[in-house]
Amino acid sequence: MSYEYVVLKEISKKFAGGVKALDKVTIEIRTGEVLALLGENGAGKSTLVKILYGVYSADEGTIYINEKRVDISSPAEAIRHGIVMVSQHPQLIDTLSVAENLALGLKAFNAFTSIKKVSKFISEKSGKFGVKIDPWEKVWRLTYTQKQLVEMIRAMLLNARVVLLDEALTYLPLEEKRKFYKFIKEFTAKGGSAVIITHKIPEALEAADRIAILRRGRLVGIIEGGSARIDDVRKMMFGESAAEITYGKLQASQPGEEAVIETQDLWITGDFGENAVRGVSLRVREGEVVGIAGIVGNGQRELTQALAGLRKVSRGRILIGGRDVTNRGVRVVREMGVGYIPDSPLAFGISIDNSMTENIAALYQRKSMLVNWSEVREVASSLIEAYKIMIPDAGSLIKVLSGGNIMKVIVSKEINYCRRALIAHNPTRALDEVSAIMVRKSIKERAISDGVAVLLVSEDLDEIYQVSDSIYVMNSGKLYGPFPPDEAERSNVEHLMVI
Amino acid sequence: MGLEQYAVNTLVELAPVFATFYLVALGHSLFEKAGLLDLAIDGVFFMGSSIAVRAAVASGSPVVGTVVTAIAVMFLGIALAFLMTSLPISHGAIGLSMMFLGYGIGIIVGYPARLEVGSIAMYAYSEGESMAIMAISIAIGVAVHIILKYTKLGASIRACGENPHAAASLGVNVLLTRLIAGAAGFAIMGAGSSFFTLAWQKFWDPKSYTLGYGWLAFTVALTSGRHPMILVPISLIFGGLTFYRVKIGVMYGVEKDVANLVPFIAALIAMLVCYATKLKNILAPPTSLGKVYYREERTV
Repeated sequence: MSYEYVVLKEISKKFAGGVKALDKVTIEIRTGEVLALLGENGAGKSTLVKILYGVYSADEGTIYINEKRVDISSPAEAIRHGIVMVSQHPQLIDTLSVAENLALGLKAFNAFTSIKKVSKFISEKSGKFGVKIDPWEKVWRLTYTQKQLVEMIRAMLLNARVVLLDEALTYLPLEEKRKFYKFIKEFTAKGGSAVIITHKIPEALEAADRIAILRRGRLVGIIEGGSARIDDVRKMMFGESAAEITYGKLQASQPGEEAVIETQDLWITGDFGENAVRGVSLRVREGEVVGIAGIVGNGQRELTQALAGLRKVSRGRILIGGRDVTNRGVRVVREMGVGYIPDSPLAFGISIDNSMTENIAALYQRKSMLVNWSEVREVASSLIEAYKIMIPDAGSLIKVLSGGNIMKVIVSKEINYCRRALIAHNPTRALDEVSAIMVRKSIKERAISDGVAVLLVSEDLDEIYQVSDSIYVMNSGKLYGPFPPDEAERSNVEHLMVI
Repeated sequence: MGLEQYAVNTLVELAPVFATFYLVALGHSLFEKAGLLDLAIDGVFFMGSSIAVRAAVASGSPVVGTVVTAIAVMFLGIALAFLMTSLPISHGAIGLSMMFLGYGIGIIVGYPARLEVGSIAMYAYSEGESMAIMAISIAIGVAVHIILKYTKLGASIRACGENPHAAASLGVNVLLTRLIAGAAGFAIMGAGSSFFTLAWQKFWDPKSYTLGYGWLAFTVALTSGRHPMILVPISLIFGGLTFYRVKIGVMYGVEKDVANLVPFIAALIAMLVCYATKLKNILAPPTSLGKVYYREERTV
């Protein structure tokens, strides 16, 4: 018999700068159900689950667990109530072992318990869940999928009753994703509850018992999973903009002959001294979009950072527009008109303690002694309008925006900035369907109309197929391809990603 | 005098110098392992060395001087850890403020004792206790190493230093963990600084301060990658360079003032070697060292 285990009542949250993320949202989570939380960027989905997990505190509203009012002011407290969150980016400490990571939240062990004892416990327990993990393995050595698996095991070891999956399955390969959904179904069948946040609506329809839709901080409706139609859900999420959603292949480019981005036998060392990129050679021609598919952690980050001049190359060459820019630094690359959408947006893409105009000025007016603020404001206004960025004004601090809107600021300023080439690593991460399609179209438009060479690195195969003129697969630091998208079977590409 | 006897004598001579550098660097390392940037180190060093003198003179026992110093400095560590974790303020600014506060408190606390007794030699540790001090210091280092490497508490401290947001998400009480690291780290620093006046110099003067040795301990921690065991040889090397700087100067015929610079020149060279070579990967600081931990910020 299912009952309401958690009730979030009239939850409101306002961030500094006046951004209202949630406005009197009431929602219940029942035992034994999968509840999907859907909404466009800035709808308040992540904020809501982070309040339930104690990452943020609500300005107003109450949380009830088993009909008792509770105050959840930290994740440790949420864990005590049986609530565990798994994020899109594994919240694990890379330099620690699996056992050390898992030990951190386990109350069964005191502060001076030896990690050896914890490891033994984890080995025994994970075996019971049908999963094999080496507790002594350092987390940085794990693949993305393994890290997410560790997160799920963690939830089980913590005796979770509610698992919050904040886009946790988004970048998993299809096969792995199916296994995870099966795992979740088994968990809910035993009385647990799962809350899934995703931008992949078909997945939500397939997996969820109920779907709650948020729009601009308000709950606009809850529908039963079985009876929901995808078009209705999209309309509730996006209104009239839903008509813009398409997954058809975008118009193909007519690439020129000259290579704008070229790498020759590139070898790059990773953060932990390993060879993250192994002998990569590729060419991206004028007006061409080259897509690199692959699961996170296979050298894509190191490759794009080296191309942008942010990471040293240990062997090989990088040419931009025929000029050797190997190890010449980010300034040289940027001054050649190269846009860069990084994999770590907050680390390399934007300064969140500054305003949108200040961020634009730092990039666009890098050579000027004095900043032409009216020009900067004009650029900012045009980007806010074109990309429908939800921001109080261009002078607002970036850190008050939602994750999706921060991403829109980064992506829009880079797409607009690039003159010769664009290096885009997961450019639509954290974006809703309408925004993602808009970004993909903008990238393609710059390639076709302005001859910009685009290197698109993405873990989203739909995106790779929709935009690319040519596809590579990156696995264990090596590059396979190129494959023409019309001829490359999706299953073959997926196979290359996981072998 | 045989080689063996010479080695023993040298070790006895160096033991208080080693204990001072080792414990101050060890405590500092433990504090920074939790992601808390410690720029207060030199002020804390001076303050600790002064409290030690006052407490030893008042009680007549150097051991009491060391214990009281450890406890007093521990409270400063707790305050620093609390402020750096609870408020979105710069670790650098608050650390430097505490450094100057430490200098001030040091003079206020130490000067009356100096006026009272003139020489502190009779309240200091005897030469015969040097080796025991060294052994206890290393024992503390081994204990810190075991806790950091093999226990859940150690994993929590390292997690807070690497990524406090992820650590919190994993169920770590970041504030409590940092308070523990702050208390233990500064208590160890306090004990170390007490050995400066009570075991090594056996002298206290407000004009000489602690000669910038707090910053040398900072370098010792930096070049050891904040590792409790690597700290042992590095502390010995820097202790030796500091203690024998005048002898080194005489050997190479350089001015006394230039000879006084030997440990600091060595510190500069050590830092250059650490950060211009691949050692920088091995000795890398905690990823979130000195970063403001503010829970309400958005993430992508």
